[in-house]
Amino acid sequence: MNFLAPVFAALTFLGILPVLIHLHGRRRAKVRPLPTLMILLASHRRVAQRTKLRQLLLLLLRVLVMVAIPLCLAKPFIETASDLPTQVSAAQSAVLLLDDSLSMNYQPESVGRLGGGGSLLGRAKKRAAQLVEALPPGAEAALVLGSRGTAAPVPELTGDRARLFSALSAVHPSYRATDLHGALKRAAQILQTVRRSQRRIYLFTDAAAHAIDATLTPPADTEVAVIDVTDAKPLPNRAIVEAHSDPAPSLGSRAVRITAEVANFSDLPVKELPVTLLVDGKPVAKGLVDLPPRGHAIKRFVHILQPPPGAEFTPAATGTTDPTSSPVATASGQTGLHHISVALQGDALAEDDERHLRVEVQRHLRVLVLDGDARTLRRDDEAFYLEMALRPGDRDDAPFAITTQPLDEGVAALGDFDAVFLCNAKASDIGRKGLDKALRQYVLDGGGLFITLGDNTEVDAFNTTLHELLPQALAVVKTTGPLRRAGQAAEAAVPGESESALTGPGEHLGRMDRRHPLLLPFSSGRASESLLEARFGRYMLLRPTPRSTGDSGGVILSYESGAPALIERQLGRGRVLLFTSTIDRDWNNLPIQPAFLPLLQQTVRYLSHAPLRDSEPATVIGQPRDIRLQTGDTRVEISLPSGKKRLFERLGGRQVLTFTDTIEPGFYRVAAAGDSGVLRPRPAEFFVVNVEPSEADLQPPPPSRLAALQRPLSDSGAGTEGSGAPKRQVELWHYLGALLLGLLLGEALLLRQK
Amino acid sequence: MTSNLLDLPALLRLQNLQLQARIVAEGALAGLHKAAHHGSSVEFAEHKEYAPGDDLRHIDWRAYGRIDKYYVKRFEEQTELRGYLLVDVSGSMGYGRQDQITKLDYAKLLAASLAYLLLRQSDPAGLLLHSAEVKNYIPPRGGGAHLGDLCQALEATKAGGGTALADGLSFLSEVVRRRGVVVILSDLLPSPPDVSGLPGEVPIDYVSQYGALLRARLCGLRAQKHDVIVLQVLDADELELPFTGLTWFEDVEPGPSGLSRLFVDPADVRAAYQRELQGFLSEMRRGLREGDVEYHLVPTSRSPESVLLDLLRGPLRGKVRR
Repeated sequence: MNFLAPVFAALTFLGILPVLIHLHGRRRAKVRPLPTLMILLASHRRVAQRTKLRQLLLLLLRVLVMVAIPLCLAKPFIETASDLPTQVSAAQSAVLLLDDSLSMNYQPESVGRLGGGGSLLGRAKKRAAQLVEALPPGAEAALVLGSRGTAAPVPELTGDRARLFSALSAVHPSYRATDLHGALKRAAQILQTVRRSQRRIYLFTDAAAHAIDATLTPPADTEVAVIDVTDAKPLPNRAIVEAHSDPAPSLGSRAVRITAEVANFSDLPVKELPVTLLVDGKPVAKGLVDLPPRGHAIKRFVHILQPPPGAEFTPAATGTTDPTSSPVATASGQTGLHHISVALQGDALAEDDERHLRVEVQRHLRVLVLDGDARTLRRDDEAFYLEMALRPGDRDDAPFAITTQPLDEGVAALGDFDAVFLCNAKASDIGRKGLDKALRQYVLDGGGLFITLGDNTEVDAFNTTLHELLPQALAVVKTTGPLRRAGQAAEAAVPGESESALTGPGEHLGRMDRRHPLLLPFSSGRASESLLEARFGRYMLLRPTPRSTGDSGGVILSYESGAPALIERQLGRGRVLLFTSTIDRDWNNLPIQPAFLPLLQQTVRYLSHAPLRDSEPATVIGQPRDIRLQTGDTRVEISLPSGKKRLFERLGGRQVLTFTDTIEPGFYRVAAAGDSGVLRPRPAEFFVVNVEPSEADLQPPPPSRLAALQRPLSDSGAGTEGSGAPKRQVELWHYLGALLLGLLLGEALLLRQK
Repeated sequence: MTSNLLDLPALLRLQNLQLQARIVAEGALAGLHKAAHHGSSVEFAEHKEYAPGDDLRHIDWRAYGRIDKYYVKRFEEQTELRGYLLVDVSGSMGYGRQDQITKLDYAKLLAASLAYLLLRQSDPAGLLLHSAEVKNYIPPRGGGAHLGDLCQALEATKAGGGTALADGLSFLSEVVRRRGVVVILSDLLPSPPDVSGLPGEVPIDYVSQYGALLRARLCGLRAQKHDVIVLQVLDADELELPFTGLTWFEDVEPGPSGLSRLFVDPADVRAAYQRELQGFLSEMRRGLREGDVEYHLVPTSRSPESVLLDLLRGPLRGKVRR
C-alpha cells in the first residue's frame, strides 16, 4: 500500500492514544470514599462482564478511529497489475483506435480481469476509459473506430476528457468487418498535425489474425500499442461462412438445394452441431454436422419452396408472330421470392451463426429448338437429348418450356422465346426461310442462340449464311474416334476422312474456363468429372482467324487437342454459343453423361439472361447496394431487418439509388412510390446482407506480426517509463472514509447504551 | 410545614448542639397540632361501646343520658417514658458530601433533639454511642442538666472504626431492664467482610445477609416490649451515586485486609447500583415492619424538624407532650 500524502500516514501512531488515555485516566482517576461500596461491588459484579466487553469495544473503536483519520488524510492506494501500456503516463498525443468490428461482439464465457463478462467491445471500452483516465495532464487524444466505413467519433485531438468518455460510451457493437488499415491511416492523419514527438496509437482489439494481417504496418513516426482485450485466451467459435442455393431440377422447378459451409474455429471437434434451415423466418428443416478441429463441413438441405398464391405455370403460346420482338419485354411467368437463412445453435459470437439468402423461384424459360435433323423415331431425333435434358421426366413443373420445330417447317416468332437452339441445321434451310436475319435481330435484341453442328453442316455454306452470328468461322471436321449413327451401334469413319484419324479412341474435353458463369455447376471437382469423361469422336475445327470487332466472346470448353468445343460470342444485347459437335450422340457421348443436364440447363439460363443460381451473392455489411429505380419513382423506402426504415425522397429522375446503410445482416425490403405517392413493395429489389465471414475466425496472428506492429519509437522512452509490469492505482481513502463514519456511528451507539 | 423552621446550614452554624437540639425540637413541636387533652396522669383517648368484662367504672354516664347506649371511656396511661438513643458512630457515619453535613452530625442533631423532647417532659433519656464496640453509654436519667451531659458526649464523639451495630443492639437489650423507646440512628451499612478485599471476593449477598442480621436483632429488641424506632441516615451521594468519570471508589471503613477499592465509571454501574440499593432498603423496610419496628429512611438533605415531626405524629404520638 502506498500513500499520496505519506506524512499523514506517520500519524497513525495516534491509534495508541485512546489506550494511553485509558491508562492515564486509570492512574489519575479520582479516589472517592463511598460507604455503600459493598453495595456498589455487588452491583458491579452483576454488570461487570457486559461493561467490560463494551468498554473493550469502545476502546477498540476509538483506536481504529484514531488510526483511520490519518490514514484517510494520507490518501492510501494500492497498485494492481494494469492492462494499460507503460507509455500511458507520458505526455503525448494519442489516438485511441477502438476495434468495433463484428468479432468484438464475442462474449467470453469467463469473467475477465476487469470484472464483468460482457463482450470484447465492452472490455475494450472500459480499458480505453481507464487509459483516458490515466493520461497525464496536457496529453491529448482522439477516438477512431476500427470497423470498415465508420466515422471517427472524436476526429481531432482534444484534452477534453468528458468528451472522450462520452464518445466512448456512445460506441455500440456493429456488424461491420475490421479495417485496421483504414483506421490506422485515419489515426496517422490525425497525428500528422502534431509537432510533439510522442505520437501514439492505442489499438484496443481482439488481435485476431484476420484484422492484423501481414501487411499491417505502423504509420511512420508513430508508435502503436496493441491492447489485446482477449486476455490472450483462445476464443472458440463456430460460424456459417458461406451459403448458397441451387436449383434441384430433379425435384421440380421450385426445388432448391441450399448448401451451407460450417466452420469450426477452435481446437476441439464439435459433434452433432444442429443446423437449422429457415424459410421466410420459419424453421423447416434441421440437421446435424460434425466439425473437426479448425475444420469445415458442408451441410446441404433440399427444400421445395411453396409457390406464391395463384402462381400457376402457363406455357407460352407458340405461334408465328413477329420473330423480332424482344424476349425481355415479353417475358412473363410467376415468380416467388423467399428469405432463406441457415442458422447454427448460438455460441459466443451469435452474429456469425446465421447466413441469409434471397431465393427466387424462377419463371419458366421458353426454349425454341430448331431441329435440322428431325426423325420420326424420337430417340433418333437431333433434339431428343436436348429435350430430355431440359424437361427431365417430362414433368409439367419443369423449369423450361420447349418448343421443337423441324427446320423445314414454319418458324415461330423468335421473340416469344428466351433461347433458341439451332441444331444440325442445313445452311440452305436457314437461308431459304430468312432465318439468318431473324436470328441476327433476335440476338441483337437480347436473345440467346445456341448453334450445334452435325452431319448436315456444310462448312462453307454455313460460314456464308451465318457469318454474322458465328463466334468463329468453321474450318473442317475432325474425326478422332468411333461414331454412332442413328439406328447403328457405331461407324468406323466418314467417307473422305483420313485413315489416321480413325485410329484414336476419341477425344475428351481438355480445358474448362471454370470462371465462366455457364460452368458454375462444375466448379467442384466431382461435378466436372462426368463432363470430362465425355468422349468426342468427331468435332468441327474452327478457323483460327481472331475476330477484331470487339463483340467476340471466348472459348469456354476445349478438347484435349486445344480445339474449341464451346465458344461464345456477344452480339448486341444477346449471346451466341457455338458447340462444335452434335447435340445428340452422333459425334459424341456427352448426352449420356450426367453433366449433360446441368450443362444444358445452365446454358439456357445463361443465354436467356436468367439468374444462373437461385441465390445471388449477398451484400456484405457496409457494402453499398444499388437499388434500380424505375421511371417516375419519387420515393423509396427501405426496411431494415430490425424494422427500422430509411426513406429516400426527391430522387429526381435517378436510375439508381445507392443504399449505404447496410448495417444489419438479414433481409431488406424495398418499397417505391411513383406519382401516386403510395409505397408499393418492389420484390425485385429485395436483397439480403450478410456479415463478413472472415470475422468469425478469432485466431491470433503470429507473435512476430504483433511485434512488428508494436515496434517502439527510438525516442519513445517506453523503456524508461516503467521497466516492470504496468501498474494501476486503486485509491482506498473512499473506503477508509466510509469505515471511519461507521466507526464513529458505532462509538455513538455504544455510548448511548450506557 | 417546615416553612417556619430554620434551614439546616444555618442551624449547623450554631456551634452548640444543645441549642441546635432545642431549636429543632421546638420547631417540631410548633408544627405539631395541639393535643386533644392534657393535664392529668390518665388521659382520655376515645370512647368504646361497652362489652361484658369492661370495667363499670369507666362507663360514660353522660353519654348514656344523651344517646341511651353504654360507652366506656378509654384512657392513655401517662407513665414515665424512658428513652434510649443508640447512635452509630462507625466510620461510615462520617461521610458527607463536601462542605455539607455528615451523617453523624445529622444523627447527633436528631439524637439531641429527641433527648431534649424527653427531658423536657421530665422523662429519662439515655445514650449509647457504638461503632465496632461501645464507645460511650450514658444510662437514662431525667432533669434538665442531663441534656447537657448527653450533648457533651455527642459533641465529643467522632466517626471512626468499623461497624458492629448488631453488637450494640445486643448490649442495649442487656442493659435496658424497663420498657422504653429505643431509637437507633445509623446508616445500617456493613463493614467490609473478612476477606482479602478484592471486589471479586466479596460475597454477592453480603449486604443482604448483614441486613437480615440487623433485622433479627431489632426485632428481638421489639420482642422485649420496647418501642423500636430505626432512623436510617443516608447521604444523597449514597442514594444516587451522582459521580462522573472514571473513579476509584474505596470504603471508608477499613476491613481486615485494608481498604476495599473499585475502579469503575459510575455511569456504567449507576443503574445497577440504584437497583441494588433500593433492594436493600426495601428489604429492610419490609422486614422491620413485619417485626413491628418503626423504620424511617432519613436522607441528610432532609430537615431534622420534619423528621421529628414525623416521629411525633407517628410512633411518638401521645408520648411527647407539647
